[in-house]
Amino acid sequence: MNSFMLDDRKLMVTALAALLMVACTSAPRDPEAIGQLRRDLTELQSDPQLASKAPVAIADAEKAVVAAEKPQADAEQEAQLIYIADRKVKIAHAQAESRKLEDQRTALGKEREAARLDSRTQEADTAHQLARDLQQEIDDLNAKPTDRGLVVTLGDVLFDNASSTLKPGAQDKLSKLSAFLIKHQDRSIVIEGHTDSVGTEDNNAALSQRRADSVASFLTGQGITRERLTSSGKGEGFPVVGNETAAGRQQNRRVEVIIVGAMTRVE
Amino acid sequence: MTTLLPHSTITQRPSGLRPLSVLLLLSLTGLAACSSPPPDRELQAAELSITNAEKARVADYASPELGEARNKLTAARAAVSEGDMEDAKRLAEQARVNADLATAKAAAAKAAVVNTEMQDSTETLKTEMDRNQGGTL
Repeated sequence: MNSFMLDDRKLMVTALAALLMVACTSAPRDPEAIGQLRRDLTELQSDPQLASKAPVAIADAEKAVVAAEKPQADAEQEAQLIYIADRKVKIAHAQAESRKLEDQRTALGKEREAARLDSRTQEADTAHQLARDLQQEIDDLNAKPTDRGLVVTLGDVLFDNASSTLKPGAQDKLSKLSAFLIKHQDRSIVIEGHTDSVGTEDNNAALSQRRADSVASFLTGQGITRERLTSSGKGEGFPVVGNETAAGRQQNRRVEVIIVGAMTRVE
Repeated sequence: MTTLLPHSTITQRPSGLRPLSVLLLLSLTGLAACSSPPPDRELQAAELSITNAEKARVADYASPELGEARNKLTAARAAVSEGDMEDAKRLAEQARVNADLATAKAAAAKAAVVNTEMQDSTETLKTEMDRNQGGTL
């Protein structure tokens, strides 16, 4: 300054002006902070998942970073611009992140719907499979749907003539029935003994009752509780065919097992 | 910007001006730069941003930024009462961007929670299905 030529008053003014200038003159710039800002912004702008999501906020951040990059006379102003730009870059980042997440929701919703559908399909498949399994078991038992329920007819194979003791081979026939009852605990059965018309009616009634009881006790021996079993001797009163021929009488000598339960017929 | 005024004054100085007048002018502009009216616009903007952040229940998700915004606004008001308007303006601007950042961060966090819930429910369905499959076969 050419202050040598000035008087005291001028000197004072000069000093004051110089002081004010110094107060507003820049301190060293902060290239590291500015460089970091630019890197953060570039990272956001080059992220294919985020770059297009928040165009307004990103443009705003770009403007703020450009402003911070311009040399400032005032150190505080420079720090301020860096501060603002830093927050604006972060705001743009958060907004882009929000949009990205919102956009992902369409796909997530579809995935969830697909999973729900799969789940329902599986439930239905499971129900069908269970129904098929049950039908298979009923078929294996040779059970026939009637208006009384499912009826398994055990032919003239369980007992010797006039006997109510199960033949050794009879147990094989009955084991399928006990397996079914063990698996389906909600079912109970009615065991009915039937005879042909040979012999007296009273004897036949008593014999058919003893035979039904024999079947029942075999089943309790297999672990089926007595409450689930009802046995009754029907005697000769309910023939399925005429008793005139030997073949007819053989058909009429039988034990019928009626399966009682929630489901009598599948599908 | 007011801080740029001294430079532009120098470049536009007519050659005939005496040094004393230049110095006076310089000191006057310098004084003007450091004594302005309260930054009402910036203060209001900061208040609005903080109100918006509070409405968006930001406190649950981005409390550090919201706290920072409140502190800056308080400091800005203190600067106004101390007569430091430049400082007040800067602090108000800082309060505003912090509040805006709090809102943006909270929105992102909420969006992430929703997405995670959706993913979880899908996973639950899939896990149940796997278990059911194991049970029937």
